[in-house]
Amino acid sequence: MGTNPELVALMLADARLPTGGHTQSAGLEPAVLAGLGADGNKLGEIEEYARDRSRTVTRVEAGAAVVARYFALSGLELTPVERAWAARTPSQALRAASRRQGRAYLRLAGRVWPGVLEHLPGDGEIARPVVVGVVGAVTGLSAVQTARLIGYEDAQTVVAASLKLLPVDPVDAACWLTALHPEIEELADAVRGLTGPGEIPACGAPLVDVFGQKHAAERMRLFHA
Amino acid sequence: MHESTRSFRLGVAGPVGTGKSSLIAMVCRELAGELQLGVITNDIYTDEDARLLRSAGVLAPERIRAVETGACPHTAIRDDVTPNLLAVEDLERDFAPLDVVLVESGGDNLTATFSPALVDAQIFVLDVAGGGDVARKGGPGIARADLLVVNKTDLAPYVGVDVVQMVADAEAARGGKPVLALSRSDAESVALLKKWVLEMTAVVRSGRHTPVDPGPMAPHSHVGDDGELITHTHAHPHDQTHAGVEVDTDRVVQAHAHSH
Repeated sequence: MGTNPELVALMLADARLPTGGHTQSAGLEPAVLAGLGADGNKLGEIEEYARDRSRTVTRVEAGAAVVARYFALSGLELTPVERAWAARTPSQALRAASRRQGRAYLRLAGRVWPGVLEHLPGDGEIARPVVVGVVGAVTGLSAVQTARLIGYEDAQTVVAASLKLLPVDPVDAACWLTALHPEIEELADAVRGLTGPGEIPACGAPLVDVFGQKHAAERMRLFHA
Repeated sequence: MHESTRSFRLGVAGPVGTGKSSLIAMVCRELAGELQLGVITNDIYTDEDARLLRSAGVLAPERIRAVETGACPHTAIRDDVTPNLLAVEDLERDFAPLDVVLVESGGDNLTATFSPALVDAQIFVLDVAGGGDVARKGGPGIARADLLVVNKTDLAPYVGVDVVQMVADAEAARGGKPVLALSRSDAESVALLKKWVLEMTAVVRSGRHTPVDPGPMAPHSHVGDDGELITHTHAHPHDQTHAGVEVDTDRVVQAHAHSH
């Protein structure tokens, strides 16, 4: 179709792509409410939080995206991938948030990359990483590009949300993100070869789930999740 | 989305504290008996406005939903309307068929207007307490929203604002588009708001209305090639016919269809 996969990856990583990304904090808001960053006295914890996610929940996401991409390329039905992701995402609130985001991506992809609709329903509530994996399959992203995108997006979501939640210098935020590059590359490398739902990493971060559950009932929130 | 479940999506924008939530509560109170309604709120902290509207008891609480804006209220109604669109579609699905879904913007500034991708028409709300000169200053919402409301006219004597002059300024900025001087204690003005919403609903339903984007650009001036000062806007040209409420300076109002 004449589209350069690298440009597709840049589009997908760009917050200006209309997918409702501005409503997401990758769990940072509830973590801050629970004390992360100590009201601005321990801002280094933001980078540590992003790193912890990269080693746990984001690994599940990236693995699910890579396997979804492989399934779409192989013409396989994607339900087992979504199910494997759900089994590794204990919080109902976080599953719902991801599926709502997946729906936002599908709404976009249905018009921008209509080939996605050959694999997923345009109005489906399907986990975001599964949708991103299928977009990757349709647009020619490699497995490692797909995984890197998930890893980068999660870290950038944390860092960008920190600017709204804590007294952060935006350049410090960019420094944290850059410092996370090796972590993101390691993540991408670890999951790039996965092809089966059973291989998706099952490493959790229980506090992320607990915070996610609490946040869904929180009245005074800026971010959806 | 099945076409028959598509509602008239009406945006309500305007600066903080001008009475957007109260106006929506008023519309619900006046029209809940005639129309099937739903409300989406956008607020700084999730559901402040949604809670206010639910507690007002003007609509079943489950028909009022809140959308998070991630502290970006202008983004949520303009640059990336995805979360709002999903919320509107969910309401339309869950309470089908809805006649009107009111979408309230988070209180932002004078430049925040709705994308036509989200709403079919929009009301921009000012109030007299915000200053009598605001209407004259103009801006995309003031100049080109489908209806401009000058709210809280009952407060005018207390804040030293000449309502007639403020409405005249607004009309001058709007080139014939309707302006409504509104006060919740003025039953006649409330009736006119109700009338406008009903007429707009009918027009949108009939398919005769094309959403107009007020745009992020205020009218501005520059010097042309011949040295003449040119003042203009970049609004889309529009030649559709739709109903409007026209308000003259002594607030005697008549509603009629007009074209422009």
